[in-house]
Amino acid sequence: MDMLINPTVVELSRLQFALTALYHFLFVPLTLGLSFLLATMESVYVITGKPIYKEMTQFWGKLFAINFALGVATGLTMEFEFGTNWSMYSHFVGDIFGTPLAIEGLMAFFMESTFVGVMFFGWDRISAKAHLVVTYLVALGSNLSALWILIANGFMQDPRGGTFDPNTMRLEFSSFVQLIFNEDAQAKFVHTSIAGFVTGSMFVMGISAFYLLTNKRKDIALRSFRIAAVFGVISTIGVVTLGDALGFIDAKAQPMKVAAMEAIWNTDYNTASAPWNLIAFPDKAAGKNLFEIGIPYVLTPLLTHSEDTVIPGIHQLVDEAKPKVVSGIKAMIALKEYNHDHSNVQALATFKQYQADMGYGFLAMQYAPDQDLKKVDASNLASVVDKTAHETVPNVWVEFWAFRIMVAFGFIMLAIFAFAAYFSLKNEIEKHPLLLKVALWSIPLPWFACEFGWITAENGRQPWTVYNMLPTFVSASSHSVGYMIFSLIGFVLLYSSFIAAEMYLMFKYARLGPQSSHHGHDNAPAGGGMAGQPAFAKPSLAKK
Amino acid sequence: MKNLFTFVGMALIMALSLFLAVITGDYGPWYFAWLVGTTMIVLIAVAGAVMYEKQDAENQDKTGRSH
Repeated sequence: MDMLINPTVVELSRLQFALTALYHFLFVPLTLGLSFLLATMESVYVITGKPIYKEMTQFWGKLFAINFALGVATGLTMEFEFGTNWSMYSHFVGDIFGTPLAIEGLMAFFMESTFVGVMFFGWDRISAKAHLVVTYLVALGSNLSALWILIANGFMQDPRGGTFDPNTMRLEFSSFVQLIFNEDAQAKFVHTSIAGFVTGSMFVMGISAFYLLTNKRKDIALRSFRIAAVFGVISTIGVVTLGDALGFIDAKAQPMKVAAMEAIWNTDYNTASAPWNLIAFPDKAAGKNLFEIGIPYVLTPLLTHSEDTVIPGIHQLVDEAKPKVVSGIKAMIALKEYNHDHSNVQALATFKQYQADMGYGFLAMQYAPDQDLKKVDASNLASVVDKTAHETVPNVWVEFWAFRIMVAFGFIMLAIFAFAAYFSLKNEIEKHPLLLKVALWSIPLPWFACEFGWITAENGRQPWTVYNMLPTFVSASSHSVGYMIFSLIGFVLLYSSFIAAEMYLMFKYARLGPQSSHHGHDNAPAGGGMAGQPAFAKPSLAKK
Repeated sequence: MKNLFTFVGMALIMALSLFLAVITGDYGPWYFAWLVGTTMIVLIAVAGAVMYEKQDAENQDKTGRSH
């Protein structure tokens, strides 16, 4: 198995992918959420006929456009990255992983991009109802893009729908239905999409709060604040609930991730009273928490929705991995023999016997003498198995705290949205300047929550790119360290300039706001302050 | 004739919707939940905005001045 790659190159490839994904994910949630908020505002315009809602849709649509353009730019490079930096991964799972990516490009992204053009430039070219349909299609297309990406990610978390072919050494497509209805993909899509709704709501609510605090276009600010607060409070309840569901699914599919997420080292058989760690300082090397504060009677119902389900600890899961490593080593040795001689029926039969644990054999390669599994014998087997089994534990400290930061921000946002919706629905939001300031300064919170959620999901999957099947360290391309550093610096500079451009444009147009109307909102010409701009100029809904 | 086509068209949409609901309900409950949930979120937010207009109109009536 001559496929081990320089560990520094692997780490640099991981760092590069993590950075580009984190950058890209700064744009995605806002697109997912703001698109449906635009559809909501435009729906009110079509229902009530009040031009101010058209003006609102156009103003927030301008901020959506800035974000959308940069989101597309940062997303495109990531698809190429699979080929350039993760060629072994692409070879191994390209058949099955490439399918949802291709569908995303062909169906969702093209649909989204096509209708975005009509949405921005079609106000005076199609009827109001047709334009509303287009706006909904943009929102649907954005979220369908996310759906196909998360189906691909769901496969990495819980591989379903593929069968390994020892002749081609590839995981090949066997069931499209299993791929798209993968429970992990489903729950992850719903959780991520609704997290985008929360991001869009906080964005609109925070900027509206800024306008209210500075007495700028209160007519638009109050209406935008109302829509965002109501949209946000329901979405936040949804995202918390769906996050719980995702944890429940992960507890079945990825018990090691969940054990790391909760810093559970030892299995507690007193299931009902098992404590949930509110705070812990996990030490992976020591195999324990250096400090912890646990709340009894919370863990089991929280994770398993029952009182008597045993949650395996990290040490137990490591022990359970050991026989899988032994089987995996046998599978990999048999696979190598079969690859040398495809008429070796015995080798094929042995491989098929242990095929389920093949990934653990891959994982053991890094600890085998000369990275050759055939050199694992009675004298070193226990050591190789022990090291490999411990390798299945992700970075517990990062997993534990990334999860907690995400959850904490989620509940803080829930409280902010709840107060905001309550006072907005009572039409008293202007009497609470402190709440308006909190809403303004809370704009970054959903982005932090989304990024830490992504870290929780992907760090917890380590050391695998495809869970239990393909380790990360064999997935990378065999670049030189110099190439990786050069391209990493390039990406950091390029993406940082994208972020700077986004921030500059967002601040500029958000501060500028919808320009003042001197006629009051009910008499405002459609297009309002933006009426001078050709695409937004003419009303297409005559009725008021 | 137009009514017949409308009826048939609507019936087909209903049959397709029911089929999709059964399929997604059985195999993709979370996708189904997203469709229903997103529709609900949008509708409630729209209702919130419509409610604002009513409150605004009532305030204008109370103050007796045009907005």
